Amino acid sequence: MEYNHQLIICIVDEGYSDNVMDVAKECGATGGTVVHAKGTANKEAERYFNIAIQPNKEMVMILVPTDIRDSILHALYTKVGLNTTGHGIAFALPVDNTVGLSKTISMPSTQQDEDKENAIAASDLSSIDDTTTSE
Amino acid sequence: MKKRTHEVHDSTNQKLDSNKLSVLFTVVNRSKADFYMDLIQSFRVNMQMGLLARGTASKATLAYLGLANTEKTVIVSIVREDEIASILDALEQKFNSIKDGKGIAYTVPMSALIGVAAYGFLSDNRIR
Repeated sequence: MEYNHQLIICIVDEGYSDNVMDVAKECGATGGTVVHAKGTANKEAERYFNIAIQPNKEMVMILVPTDIRDSILHALYTKVGLNTTGHGIAFALPVDNTVGLSKTISMPSTQQDEDKENAIAASDLSSIDDTTTSE
Repeated sequence: MKKRTHEVHDSTNQKLDSNKLSVLFTVVNRSKADFYMDLIQSFRVNMQMGLLARGTASKATLAYLGLANTEKTVIVSIVREDEIASILDALEQKFNSIKDGKGIAYTVPMSALIGVAAYGFLSDNRIR
């Protein structure tokens, strides 16, 4: 059975949920929900591998279309995975029914954005002018 | 996928209805959590959990939409597969009609469960 949506669950140390959302949004996710959680690591394994697991966790739940699942999981693995300070793990579950999803809201551009775009356009023009004058 | 064919019997050897279960996640504003939990419970749902959560919309988006808080509740419910359509219809109708009642809901299929009593409880199999 093919599923149109997947639920990505990413469990990270407390304070890293914003990083998770930033990474997911870069890959096309529109939003998520953060739940506070408490980790229960194996104390003996912690000693053996000489790592300390912070008990306070954040669980980020992100509902995404199936076609961007792998890119998000890969980005989470590299940016907030176990080898980073976020100590995150991420996995996906199949979702067979959804209701209440709306289309992405496109925000109106702000004055800052417009200034930035104008500055870029002006610098492009000046570089063209430079090349023409140097010839 | 191979269809499950074995029968399920309770402790008195009475046959139970065989119905697959799913996990329903409903994300709503915290102020409306009790309302939605009551609504879902009316569809033969015997176990639910409410998790305190927060949305991840940026301040700019919240300001644009005129929203003030990001406090949410994630309701986790174990539901029968044959009730999913009616539950989701009811939820969608409420999402679109109640003030401050917007939310999302989705189901994840449960792949395994152990214990006849637990199955009977979660699937609301009452002895008739």
